[in-house]
Amino acid sequence: MTQPVTIDAVMRTLADPTRRAVFERVVNSREISVADLTRGSGVTQGAISQHLKSLKHAGLVAERPEGRNVFYRAEPKGLAPLVDWMSHYGVFWSDRFDNLRALLKEIDP
Amino acid sequence: MTDAALKANKAETHEIAIDEIFPHAPGPIWKALTTGALIERWITMPLTGFEAVAGNDFTFQTKPAGNWDGVIHCRVLEAVPNEKLVYSWKGGDASNVGYGAPLDTIVTWTLTPSKSGTRLRLVHSGFVLPRNEGAYRNMGEGWKQIVKSIDTVAAGLNGSEAGAGE
Repeated sequence: MTQPVTIDAVMRTLADPTRRAVFERVVNSREISVADLTRGSGVTQGAISQHLKSLKHAGLVAERPEGRNVFYRAEPKGLAPLVDWMSHYGVFWSDRFDNLRALLKEIDP
Repeated sequence: MTDAALKANKAETHEIAIDEIFPHAPGPIWKALTTGALIERWITMPLTGFEAVAGNDFTFQTKPAGNWDGVIHCRVLEAVPNEKLVYSWKGGDASNVGYGAPLDTIVTWTLTPSKSGTRLRLVHSGFVLPRNEGAYRNMGEGWKQIVKSIDTVAAGLNGSEAGAGE
């Protein structure tokens, strides 16, 4: 396990429904510009840019500037923490060890 | 994925291992690992039917995803008081990708007395990882399914504090 904390970061990033919708549109396109994402989205270009920034921060999208445009594409590895159960349980058991330690302190002081 | 690829995946599995010293004798640790009400407190999932007897079936309830009801099916495979507890840990559904995908694994707890208490070792084995990087790169149906299952999980995470631990 190289980055056990990313599951939470990824999940939190995608917990916002608008941001998730933006991400789904990026996933379903090979590459898409901010202007294209804004069109028909019902939110401002500024809002879309903010969501893209968060998605980029979470490693879910990558950008490619070209002239005055920036094109976005889904970053395959960003979802890797969610792709397998093993990463899920790596975090899970580590948390459970902490819980177990706390519980034992209480029942066997 | 082709049958051959599935077979290749099956052949290669991975495990999670955590090994820590607890400042307690094996007895109380065994009690925490094998008493239903105590298990629920540290594992933070509802538990049904646990008994530390080989052959006993029990379940945990966790967040559902797609066609999977979120039930983890377990069977005690080995129970040696104060020493070793082994159970199977299965769940998921073939229609899911990522969280909620089929899971057929084994959880092994080993307790060994040490100078300062007990060495507690957990091994969760049998994970089949997506072997082919191409599976991630392919922007086809797989991705759409992943996004769908994220919807389910993220909605749960957003809605309830209770699910935050998972």
